[in-house]
Amino acid sequence: MPQSTRRATKIMDKVARAVPRPAEPDFGITKNSHRAMRKLLRQPVTLVGVGIFVIVTLACLFAFLIAPYDPTAIDMTSVLKPPSLEHLLGTDRTGRDVLSRILFGGQVSIAIGLGSAVGAAILGTTLGLLAGYRGGWLDSIVLRASELFMAFPQIIVVLLLVSIVGQSALNLVIIFVATGWGSIYRMARSVTLSIREEEFVMAQRALGIRPLVICFKEILPNAIGPIAVNITLSTAMFILQESSLSFLGLGVPMETPTWGNILNAANDLRVLRDAWWLWLPVGAVIAAFVLSINLIGDGLRDSTDPNLQG
Amino acid sequence: MLAYIIRKTLQIVPMLLVLSLLVYIGLDLMPGDAVSYLIGPDAMASIDPAKLDEIRARLGLNDPFIVRYWHWLLGVVQGDFGYSLTSGVPVSEILWRRLPATVELSIAALVISTVLGSVLGIISALRQGSPLDSGLTVAGMIGLSIPEFFFGLMLIVVFSLGLGWFPVGGRTSLGSGSLWTQLHQLALPAFALGIAMTAGVMRYARGAMLDAASRPFMTTARAKGAPMWRVNIVHGFRVALTPMVVLIGFRLPTLISGSVVIEQIFQWPGIGSEFLAAVRGHDYPLIMIIALLSTGAMLAASLIIDLVTAVIDPRVRLEK
Repeated sequence: MPQSTRRATKIMDKVARAVPRPAEPDFGITKNSHRAMRKLLRQPVTLVGVGIFVIVTLACLFAFLIAPYDPTAIDMTSVLKPPSLEHLLGTDRTGRDVLSRILFGGQVSIAIGLGSAVGAAILGTTLGLLAGYRGGWLDSIVLRASELFMAFPQIIVVLLLVSIVGQSALNLVIIFVATGWGSIYRMARSVTLSIREEEFVMAQRALGIRPLVICFKEILPNAIGPIAVNITLSTAMFILQESSLSFLGLGVPMETPTWGNILNAANDLRVLRDAWWLWLPVGAVIAAFVLSINLIGDGLRDSTDPNLQG
Repeated sequence: MLAYIIRKTLQIVPMLLVLSLLVYIGLDLMPGDAVSYLIGPDAMASIDPAKLDEIRARLGLNDPFIVRYWHWLLGVVQGDFGYSLTSGVPVSEILWRRLPATVELSIAALVISTVLGSVLGIISALRQGSPLDSGLTVAGMIGLSIPEFFFGLMLIVVFSLGLGWFPVGGRTSLGSGSLWTQLHQLALPAFALGIAMTAGVMRYARGAMLDAASRPFMTTARAKGAPMWRVNIVHGFRVALTPMVVLIGFRLPTLISGSVVIEQIFQWPGIGSEFLAAVRGHDYPLIMIIALLSTGAMLAASLIIDLVTAVIDPRVRLEK
């Protein structure tokens, strides 16, 4: 390496070190996480949310330990039995234990919701960071695409895709990711655009650090807070969507118990009137679980949003 | 203002074109073509392939993709949407039959959620920190978290099956029943559809009102001796209105999505239940056209929202 280049590198190195970095934003997951965490847990409403969330998640996760029956075991001798000590939440039309179905169904429903939210976040963040950083034609194409996806009413495009690719849990996740990345992409993009011209990013670029590294090591940490909020809120949204689709009989195939599939039984007025245990408990569980995620998401936003921090 | 309207309208055209292209590609990719629907499979086997080719050429099916797309697009613009695969009826006829029910339901839900949401939100903001405020906030969170269809089911169980106040579902078409019957049938589905939006509007109205309350012009209004209700409604609510108009626009997709499920539960004969039937029966022309039109409707709505915002807040239209 010629002398001059080496000197130039050294100078740039010094410049990079001298340029004051913006104070690490306190997003609750990075170094100074304690303050945000404490703030999060000090709100009683958020605590209620965390409580419900933990209880439901653990109950579903350990369904194989606590569920009294096999969720798919058919018992034609006890059909449509109301709740009793034997079957705490009664049995359905083919004698399957409703409580066990709710617990095992929760596994699938939560997995679909969380998986789709994380998938959409990864896709949206990557596109937002890279396209936002590069700018130019790539950025405008992705931006238009996101507008297009956000213009479709979601359930219409989801049903359209379901009718093309067929029903399965995995297909549902793929469809949710494909249709749900727009909002987080826009968020990641706007963060990238606002930071792209900051001096510490310029310095890194001058040092020849690869754009990919700059995007994920320098820009991404600034967006972690909003991303976490977005993941929680879209988990709630996807769980609601899965339950609607399965309720309509167009989501996960009927053999797999999910919260929506259990509710599918309520498509019958007689069941609605005479067999409340088939739909009321599972509906209440969905509502409570989604509520808990929304509460956590709100608490997370309050505790991570730098604008609200004193 | 005119320039603003024209610019905004022109921005939508390319998006609609791309959408229609996607929809046409979808239609084009599905198995079979018009000829295979005209001629049964038995007859197809006995027909001379050259003859088939001739029919295809006459119908324009052998034209290059872009030519076929152009003809299809011209048809769509003129209201010719093709035919339903399951019933053989023109798609436009189905849509015209189904549209009034959906429009009626959507407008009712929009009115309910806007009025109820803003009133509750304003009350909540004016009584900030009171038990009423906390109660409404919690109720709003629950309203946002409860699946719409589950709320609809509970309404049916309580008010139709239990108390017998409302019918379980269905709709008499305009003109064939008294206004009372119609409102009676509309009440439950409209309320079920409006619940999530009501909660959303309420949260937003509360925030916007609180935001407005802290501005200096509110102090000015109070200082000049205007009565409190006048200060809150005329000065405060007016400023809070802009974000709320925008919010109603953002809620339209929720409305369209929600109506698909709600129409199913209440046996409401609208576009949503038709769409579900089409998805179940793999009636692709119907599916695609409904997707195209609902998206077009949303783009049009967002255009209107943009224009209304520009009227309310002059800064918007003067921006570059």
